[in-house]
Amino acid sequence: MKATLEVINRMRTDGVIGKYAIGGAVGATFYLEPSATLDIDVFVSFQTAPGSSLITIAPVYTYLTSHGYKAEGEYMVIEGWPVRFLPPGDALTEEALEQAIETEVEGVRTWVMTAEHLAAIALKTGRPKDCARILQFIESGILDTNRLDSILSQHGLLAKWEQFGHRFFGDDK
Amino acid sequence: MSEWMRKVLESKRQMRKQIAALPFSEKIKILEKLRDRSLAIASNPLRRRSFHRG
Repeated sequence: MKATLEVINRMRTDGVIGKYAIGGAVGATFYLEPSATLDIDVFVSFQTAPGSSLITIAPVYTYLTSHGYKAEGEYMVIEGWPVRFLPPGDALTEEALEQAIETEVEGVRTWVMTAEHLAAIALKTGRPKDCARILQFIESGILDTNRLDSILSQHGLLAKWEQFGHRFFGDDK
Repeated sequence: MSEWMRKVLESKRQMRKQIAALPFSEKIKILEKLRDRSLAIASNPLRRRSFHRG
């Protein structure tokens, strides 16, 4: 993954992408025990097409294919890892991207979303694997509850959080 | 829950805690091994055959 991150960082240096942050299972691995995943979700601020307000992934595709990397469905395979480049689709992911934490993997600089943003995004997405991740976050005790409350409240997710509590903890929560 | 089961669960919790506390680079290496294993399992012909049979 080191080589993959080096390529993504080069894309940033070359101006193809702006700030980026790792989310999904790889992002969660920063805080939790690793869980098997086959891809990397990279949230990234994209350039807009000239003369348009539409966000386009085209420069990413063009850059990577010109460097010999191939597309596989919604992924670009970079140094053996399928990478999904995702624009921040809402205010929550936009904020998560903005507040991402700087870290490193084997000496390579990278950015990871905060645990509270990852939990909030998982709550919003709501698939079974997202629920499992939230439970892992809760069990690990790593979440800053004040910060999480503020994020959930700001992005209209408090009711969903209540439902999650009732579903998984019943009257205990 | 029996005392034995309680110990097993506690030991698992401790192990998960220890792994979670590893440096990110170390955890990425574990992630890569897990991925390789998942891919190996997915490409096993027996598994593919049973998948196609539904």
